[in-house]
Amino acid sequence: MDKAKFYEQLAKILDIGEVKPEHALRDFEAWDSLAALSILAMADSKYGVTIKAEEIRSVVTAEQLANLVESRMKK
Amino acid sequence: MKSIFKHKRISSIVSVVPKEEYRFDDEYPSFKLTPEKAKRFKKMMSLDRHRIAPPEVCSSDLCLYGLQQLLKDGTLKPEEIGALVFVSQTPDYFMPPTSNVIHGKLGLGHDVICLDINQGCAGFLLGLVQAFLLLEISALPKVVLLNGDTCSKQMDKCNRISYPLTGDAGSVTVIERCEAENPIYMDIKNDGSRYKAILVPAGAFRTPATPETIKLREVEEGVVQSEQHIHMDGAAIFNFTMNSVPPQVDETLAFSGDTRDSIDWFLFHQPNPFILTQMAEKMKIPAAKLPNNIVSLYGNCSSVTIPLNIALNCGEQLKDKSLRVCFSGFGVGLTWISMVMNLGPLPVCKIVDYEAT
Repeated sequence: MDKAKFYEQLAKILDIGEVKPEHALRDFEAWDSLAALSILAMADSKYGVTIKAEEIRSVVTAEQLANLVESRMKK
Repeated sequence: MKSIFKHKRISSIVSVVPKEEYRFDDEYPSFKLTPEKAKRFKKMMSLDRHRIAPPEVCSSDLCLYGLQQLLKDGTLKPEEIGALVFVSQTPDYFMPPTSNVIHGKLGLGHDVICLDINQGCAGFLLGLVQAFLLLEISALPKVVLLNGDTCSKQMDKCNRISYPLTGDAGSVTVIERCEAENPIYMDIKNDGSRYKAILVPAGAFRTPATPETIKLREVEEGVVQSEQHIHMDGAAIFNFTMNSVPPQVDETLAFSGDTRDSIDWFLFHQPNPFILTQMAEKMKIPAAKLPNNIVSLYGNCSSVTIPLNIALNCGEQLKDKSLRVCFSGFGVGLTWISMVMNLGPLPVCKIVDYEAT
């Protein structure tokens, strides 16, 4: 998984210039349940991965999210 | 569960929408939304406008109006109505069935079956299945399927997510026997273990209405709801839709011997443009064959999205010819149904504005 690309896609969803691995998702102005939905959609369409609602709620940083998607891809 | 129905067809469809049309651009200041957030939401969901019934107009009024149009223009005769099947989640009363109320208002004879079904997103297709089964009763001439929902009444008008996506509507579909074999292929699936994904938690008998159940709570910024409003787990619904509907559509196409090319139109329930775009991409169905414009123009009207979809996107084509269509309805229950059939010709297939009579 190309993490840099993943952060770019995340930045697009969160309507911001750049997302760094250590950024907390909840700190973004655009973070809400619709952003979460867009992330589920990205995980599904770009990575073929299903992320559950409770999983996305428990993730804190962008890096944790990237790791979650990546770990699902290996299965 | 797969099955084939034969010698049945849809002969007319009328959808009825409230005259009252509201635009997102006018409404969003009443939601707790910054202009930036409103812009993002509008783009994500292709929001434009929706139709909302005034307080005094119920689902049954919209359905009754459509049915009266068919009777008035002679498309349907009162004595041909052998059954009224009313599919809704917003009935007039807990008791009696709303189909009986409609029967009474039309002054129909006594040899009629009245049946209410509680279903939403898959309600048009479940209603068709019920209609096909009823037509096995040989004494019964035609079935009138009534789909109606006024879900805007089950949410707070300041709920910035649910409300702009919702619309109210009713539809009338006439189903009858035909000489031609006209096989109709369907697959129907249910998973009640996930019933909480779309739920009105209180107001019926499990949790009766109390002053507490109508209290509004803010569950996230700008999303206010009471226990008597529709609660939706957006992420769970998204995952359900993406994981369950595409394989079912594929199975149904295999069952009917169809391909993406042999189907003229994929007429799906319209939950929101975001989910449908994702779904079309995942299923590799060209966007031109899978209309995705109902929510932008009318709002998600629960079981009426498919009748609206038929009239708006293929009504003209269907006037004098038959089209190969694949339907899919999915959501509350959870229930998901897909169907392949030849639809048309439908000389009457239209959308009308409701007028109080």
